[in-house]
Amino acid sequence: MAADLGTGLIALAAGAAVGLSAVAAALAEKEIGVAAVGAMAEKEELFGKGLILTVIPETLILFGILGAVLILRLAGG
Amino acid sequence: MLSPYEMSSVIITGSKSVQQEVIEELHRLKVIHIIEHSKSELADIGAPFESAIKLSEILVKIRALISSLGIKKEENKFEFKAGLLEIGQSTVKISSELNKHLEELKNIEVQLSRYYLARQELETLKEIDVPLEYFAPYRSLSYFTGYAKNEQSLSNIKSGLSAATKNFMLLESIAKKKPFIVLFVDSKAKDNADMILKSNGFSGINFANISNLKGSAAQNLKKIEEDIKRLQKSKEETNRKIELTAQQNKDFLLAAESFLAEQLEKAEAPLKFASTRSSFLVKGWIPTNNLHSSIEKLNKAGKGNIYIQFEPPKKKDKVPVKLKNPKIAKPFEFFMDMYSMPSYREIDPTFFVFLTFPIFFGMMLGDIGYGLVSLAVFWLLKRKMPKARNLLNVLMVASFVTIFFGFFFGEFFGLEIYHPVVSREHDMFTLMFIAVGIGVIHVNIGLIIGFVNELKSHGLIHAVYAKASWIILEIGLALLALSVLEKILITPWIGAAFLGASILMLLKGEGFRGIIEIPSIFANIVSYVRLAAIGLTSVILALIINESAAEFFHKGGFFILAGVLILVVGHVMNILIGWLGSFLHSLRLHYVEFFSKFYTGGAKKYHPFGIKDY
Repeated sequence: MAADLGTGLIALAAGAAVGLSAVAAALAEKEIGVAAVGAMAEKEELFGKGLILTVIPETLILFGILGAVLILRLAGG
Repeated sequence: MLSPYEMSSVIITGSKSVQQEVIEELHRLKVIHIIEHSKSELADIGAPFESAIKLSEILVKIRALISSLGIKKEENKFEFKAGLLEIGQSTVKISSELNKHLEELKNIEVQLSRYYLARQELETLKEIDVPLEYFAPYRSLSYFTGYAKNEQSLSNIKSGLSAATKNFMLLESIAKKKPFIVLFVDSKAKDNADMILKSNGFSGINFANISNLKGSAAQNLKKIEEDIKRLQKSKEETNRKIELTAQQNKDFLLAAESFLAEQLEKAEAPLKFASTRSSFLVKGWIPTNNLHSSIEKLNKAGKGNIYIQFEPPKKKDKVPVKLKNPKIAKPFEFFMDMYSMPSYREIDPTFFVFLTFPIFFGMMLGDIGYGLVSLAVFWLLKRKMPKARNLLNVLMVASFVTIFFGFFFGEFFGLEIYHPVVSREHDMFTLMFIAVGIGVIHVNIGLIIGFVNELKSHGLIHAVYAKASWIILEIGLALLALSVLEKILITPWIGAAFLGASILMLLKGEGFRGIIEIPSIFANIVSYVRLAAIGLTSVILALIINESAAEFFHKGGFFILAGVLILVVGHVMNILIGWLGSFLHSLRLHYVEFFSKFYTGGAKKYHPFGIKDY
């Protein structure tokens, strides 16, 4: 499969969309995770809620995936 | 289903003369959720029965015994008819027996450690042929024992000493791979010898643990080895005795523990009551369908000296919640436990979670092979860990749905075994649209539940403003989009009108916050794309595992083994990731996207007096 520069750039863009949004989600989750662990140390029953709060920013990656899909569909044909 | 058991508020007042009987009856009935009284000007809290001190004293002893005997808690069917006195006596007996053994064990261990040290020292001296009693204080003779740094320093020491004095004797051997020396020297030359040794890197050691031994080191070593063996044997024996004590008394201790815990709970019950000098008052909640039979029994126990008042809950009451669901949906109450109990008057969403959680989980994991493995693993785990029964039941239902979706996607450990209805690998876009469609349906179900909740608590107008407005908003946007894209032939203004109306309603129903929240509903719906996305990662990982294993299989010979290893390890990893991902994301879709549309929660769980904590 000989890939030309254009295909490469499209792939790069799609990858960046997912990757960067994942970094953003990770940063957000880091903060929440730290707080959640802190809260859990005080009160163990908060595990469920802490877990849920921690995964909330994960939606960001989905936006990234949507972006990547759109890039691939519009540009990649 | 959908709403919890009906509760009635109950107040029991009575004379203290019958307090004990009433507590016994309440404990037997196991229906009342007691609201703890807090001390006020009107009434103090009650005092525990006198027996409470004695009970907790013995209970502490028994729990200590259970833990130091290493007894594991288990179901036991020990018939138990002893009184408190007998339990106390037996406990003291067991405890003194155990203490005797422990004391013995401690003595043996002290002795053993002393012998170990002595053995170490003897081993160092093993090859030096000097009777041990020679290592004693002398007037005219000094001695040094210790290690020389290496062969070189040893010969330096020798030549140095020969130059300094004639009156010395040097014995050498190798211990711990280093030259070991024993030097006897005239005490006049002691300081001199000391200097020579120090300057050649000599490090002295003391033999503190064998100072009272006589004869050669080798002889003593033999004897001490025998002693050590003997002590180890008696240590084992003592340990066996302790184990025997545990075996013999296990049933008694466990039964006594649960019996005493129960008695103590009763004895301390008055702490939750309001009390005056001669009367007591208990406030609590009883499920309405148990109310009348309970009152009858309590009145009988109270011998006419109590008065019971009951009424349905008032609007502001914080009613404890006992969820009511059909048996198959019951395990899913676990999710309410983990999040927060629904309040008494709102819809209990357990049944909805029961309907959708397995679907989401199955759609994300969606593989016949993975589903079968999951089913087997969760079934085995359920037998091993009956405590996690609820969670594992949920997961088993989810595994069934996973298998179903596996057939739908035509996947078996990532292999496409036939042409599927929808292929996760090739029809990704179709699947994403399906996922978003599921999202629209799920979120709107949430809004409808929210509508019903608002209807019950705040009336129709507020319900329309706060919840129906969201649905109108969605309809408006859909109409607007479709008409602008000319998919349907109406003027875009109709859609715009819906949109405008819904925004006004939102402003009225939920205030300015509602307006800010508008984008969130789309974020919520988009969030369901994960149903397709998580599945996609699972498939692609499985494909990579299969392909790399296939490469090895082609090479043949020894590589086939490596291929099998890749398959096993890879799929195990992928299944583990799949469980975690599918479980968390399915859970999240419920807690965040679904519950946020209607859920208040925050109720206390109904926990009747007499039921043990679990």
